[in-house]
Amino acid sequence: MEDLIEDLTRGNVTEVKMLLATVVLGLAVYQVLLAGVAYGWLRPRFLERGSASWTHRASGDTILVLTVVIAVMCIGYSGFEDGGAHAVVATILLGVFATKVLVVRLGGRLSRVLPLLGVSLLILFGITWLTSAGEFLGVG
Amino acid sequence: MTARPSQGAQMLGSLLVAIAIVAAAIAIVTAHFGPTSSAELDAREERLEQREENIEELQELEEERRERDR
Repeated sequence: MEDLIEDLTRGNVTEVKMLLATVVLGLAVYQVLLAGVAYGWLRPRFLERGSASWTHRASGDTILVLTVVIAVMCIGYSGFEDGGAHAVVATILLGVFATKVLVVRLGGRLSRVLPLLGVSLLILFGITWLTSAGEFLGVG
Repeated sequence: MTARPSQGAQMLGSLLVAIAIVAAAIAIVTAHFGPTSSAELDAREERLEQREENIEELQELEEERRERDR
């Protein structure tokens, strides 16, 4: 697995992970803004709730794929042993992300917790980024 | 009051914003690393080490030759 990841990233495993993680964080911030429009908390003149909701889902699907790729790269290449706080927060993040996807699919009364799950996810993405890519980029 | 853009334009616009965010993230991270990949840097470092080793080896051979000549 390690060799496959090395080959795919041409030896730049850390750099590729950092790049993808930064893309995910940027999109996660955008997701919360789009959700704000979709829920009617933000009312820009140029964007309706339906369009915001559609983009929120499309962008969310992209984030999900990228998050799984990063997680596979992290666990497959570095493992859990030396992960420390980053590994713990990232594991919680994956759990919350899976719960959010499940709640979206199930719908009904559970949908009321979606904003809470969404904001929790943004915070977890932020902490996970700060404890990995942020440290390398001199932010964390 | 200005008219609201059509739904298609809204969708396209919001997707373009997402693409712009992705492009900005890529630009910021790659600017931090510079244009050279770590694999290339490693290879460069390896070549430098090899060159230093060769020089040391040559110097040792030279010394051995001098000692023999004495």
